[in-house]
Amino acid sequence: MNTHPDEAGAALASIQSRQAQVIRASSVPSWYWWAVAAGMVVIGGATDTRRPLVLGIAIPLAAICIAGLTVAMIFGTGRGARIKSDELLGGRGALLIVGFVWLIIAITLGLGFGLKAAGTPEPATIATAAGGLVLALSGPAVTRRLNQIMLGNRAGLSNRVGLTNPEQAQ
Amino acid sequence: MSLPAKFDELIHPPTRLAIVSLLAATEWADFKFIRDEIGLSDSALSKQLTTLEGAGYIEIRKSFVGKRPRTSAQLTKTGRDAFGSHVAALQEIVERAGATVLPR
Repeated sequence: MNTHPDEAGAALASIQSRQAQVIRASSVPSWYWWAVAAGMVVIGGATDTRRPLVLGIAIPLAAICIAGLTVAMIFGTGRGARIKSDELLGGRGALLIVGFVWLIIAITLGLGFGLKAAGTPEPATIATAAGGLVLALSGPAVTRRLNQIMLGNRAGLSNRVGLTNPEQAQ
Repeated sequence: MSLPAKFDELIHPPTRLAIVSLLAATEWADFKFIRDEIGLSDSALSKQLTTLEGAGYIEIRKSFVGKRPRTSAQLTKTGRDAFGSHVAALQEIVERAGATVLPR
């Protein structure tokens, strides 16, 4: 093989650029966070009605929609590709996702029980609206951080020759 | 475990390198996704995928979503190893020249 170092360097840069492109193209869209937030508010609103028929229909329906959307995001349905998340996300990415989910649950339940104890009307609606707002506003930042983590763990590329993450370098 | 460095003439041409790089970051990718991301025509992409499939580097799956045909591709273990070895070979070439690679 007679490959010039410049050509090899250009090929490595091209690999990095393609992998960054696919990570960005497959990332979670902003509307997903708002859709989940809307589902949370539906659950909260239904809880406050205390009507068995509303509880029996709205809560399972919203839960199915949230779960279905989340599964579609995980499996890449509708986006044309599924990211190799086991290699790219790693432990840090998984921790970030679990931590974010627990943070939203803690905010929503903590606020909900607090408002109920204080005798505030519609506590579940207010709590899920607040939790949903935090989710929708901070979700895109979580997506960006996950993209950075995945860019740092790109498949097939080691860090031993000074390959850097362009998003971290900025 | 790092893979041994092995320059791969089949992967190295820019178009195939782009396809394999993209697939290396995915579990699978739709034909349309690869075509649009890399900017190839249907026929050009088909030709490159057939070459990679012939070498055992990718697996092409055809299925139907409703009545619409859907074609997707994924890197096989052989393809993933060949890509890893090719990257290692490129890195060795750059290292020998005493350079570092910074993305543009």
